[in-house]
Amino acid sequence: MVPLPILLTAIVYSFILSLLAMGFTLQYITLSVPNLAYATIAFASTYLTLTFSLMNLSPYVAMPFGFLLGGAISFILYKFVAFLRNRGTSIVGLMMATIVFDLIIYAGMNIYADYLAYVFKLYAGSFSLSEFDFKIFSLPAVLFVSGLTSVGLVAFFTLMLVKTKFGVAMRAVMENYSLASVHGINTERILSIAWFFVGGIAGLSGSLYPIWFAMDPWVGARMFISIFAACVIGGLRSIYGSLLGGFIIAFSEVVVTYFLSLYFPWIWAYRAVTSMVIAAFALVEMPSGIAGLIEKLRRG
Amino acid sequence: MFLIDLIMDIIAFFCIYAIITLSLNFQQGYTGIFNLGLYFPIIVGAIITAYLPGRLAMIIYGLDPKLDFSANNALVLSILRTKLSSDPLTSILLLTLTLATVALVCYFIGFLSSYPALKLPADYLALFMLCAGESLRVIGMQTDWLAGGVMGITIVNPFWWLGGYSYYGIASFTIISTILIALLYHRLCESPLGRLLKSIRENELTAESVGKDVNSVKRKTLAFSFMILGLAGVLHAFLMGAVVVGGYTRVDFSFWPWLMMIIGGTGNNIGVFLGTFSLVIMRRIMIVGKHYFWFLPFNVVWFEPILLAIMLMVTLVFRPEGILPERSPKIKDYLRKVLKLES
Repeated sequence: MVPLPILLTAIVYSFILSLLAMGFTLQYITLSVPNLAYATIAFASTYLTLTFSLMNLSPYVAMPFGFLLGGAISFILYKFVAFLRNRGTSIVGLMMATIVFDLIIYAGMNIYADYLAYVFKLYAGSFSLSEFDFKIFSLPAVLFVSGLTSVGLVAFFTLMLVKTKFGVAMRAVMENYSLASVHGINTERILSIAWFFVGGIAGLSGSLYPIWFAMDPWVGARMFISIFAACVIGGLRSIYGSLLGGFIIAFSEVVVTYFLSLYFPWIWAYRAVTSMVIAAFALVEMPSGIAGLIEKLRRG
Repeated sequence: MFLIDLIMDIIAFFCIYAIITLSLNFQQGYTGIFNLGLYFPIIVGAIITAYLPGRLAMIIYGLDPKLDFSANNALVLSILRTKLSSDPLTSILLLTLTLATVALVCYFIGFLSSYPALKLPADYLALFMLCAGESLRVIGMQTDWLAGGVMGITIVNPFWWLGGYSYYGIASFTIISTILIALLYHRLCESPLGRLLKSIRENELTAESVGKDVNSVKRKTLAFSFMILGLAGVLHAFLMGAVVVGGYTRVDFSFWPWLMMIIGGTGNNIGVFLGTFSLVIMRRIMIVGKHYFWFLPFNVVWFEPILLAIMLMVTLVFRPEGILPERSPKIKDYLRKVLKLES
């Protein structure tokens, strides 16, 4: 039997991770450029949550602002990447451009953490805001908020893709950028909005993270391993596959590692590496991921 | 004396970064293998350097087996220092064994990791390597017995027998190693192998169609580069006199070398040297200059990634080919070669 705190950790983590994996895959599909700054963009908004908590406000108040912050950074990043792409910069150059943003945000987070330590005498290099959370049916509110946010965003995104003109245009751009452009779709506008939206999702996930987990400026770098693993499991270019991949990786990192730690207690410290092992195994044995597996089953 | 120390320090660090950027250039500039996880083999090299020579020395000198090199680090090192100070032969043996072990292990790891990595498109290969490096960093930080965990570990110096000049010893060894590695890379890049690598970079399909085993070449290139990067890890660890795995970050040991290569000129070893030299000088100036910014409410060290980002941005926008772009062979040179062959 899994203890309740472990189960709750796995559930909250899977909601956050699956959203991040979905966002990362979506950005990759739209521009064929993996955004290396994605995890750092997400965790920039955790410092926004911390700031709201310092002002004695509920950390949940920071969520819409986290969405806007993540969206704004992602939008600016898209403009820079698109500018370089239009000049014929290679994929290597475009990925380097995302690293530019990763570095600036990472440095910005550390400068802000130092500033908080200097002004408020608060060690912001590592913190958790779980004490600011409240209970619903004796369970932490973050469980319900993260669940509702994830399910709500996925439902909204699915409806948008299927039912709206914008969604159809976005699917067309994702399928074939040049053809969509020839058909008169304003591809630049579609992609700008898509990157803003996906950056916003990252910001939302990041603002929820410190309400349950401990946060430090290196979380982005560590979490990137899990996001990448979730995308690999999902099938690299499948949005819903990455969602499922997020759940698998989160449960493997928390629940499977918990069971293993009953026999090998030292293994708990290495749970961040579990996802990388799974990803490497998946790449060798199942390179097309869950999406490929489902496709194979469908074809019989 | 301070000036000599400073110059030696700059040259030694230039050498470490020169080895790393030359290896990167061999992978990316010549073969087109997009590897963002350069710090993966560097960490392997550093961890083995933290683990192996100290324990070997303990066995050689018959130290109490109850003593643990990691847990009783200060005590063990003080004993080993006394012993190794008067024993240059054992010191050189330890250095040689460490280098040989790292070379073998890193070559093997490079070969092994190429199997999942080469199944991926270029961009995901870069991510895979980056995540592999970060995973190893996590393992190193969590494993106290391996390299001292989060706190790190002080290691033996194979040049203690030089007394007060031990740092000059390891620095000189680093410089000589760099010259040898640079010559080796130069020979490889100018040989038919170099041309094969470039043909793979330009068009894998064409290279395959003329009977070249692209995957095998890429696998060997990756393994060879891993080996050299591992040696850079050893040299860096010996230079620092300690290993703190947490300090081997993707910014310092992957992104900075990438910037050095891009600024210098991808695919041009001389350009890479130039880029490395200018950035190492700049970083050293920043380290010295940070004391003048004591009044700021944050550590000035965070300006370093911002500066790196700005420089990368400026280079990507205004000079994506770098200071010294790759030289394309002129028709005249080819004609001369053909005429020489005919005559």
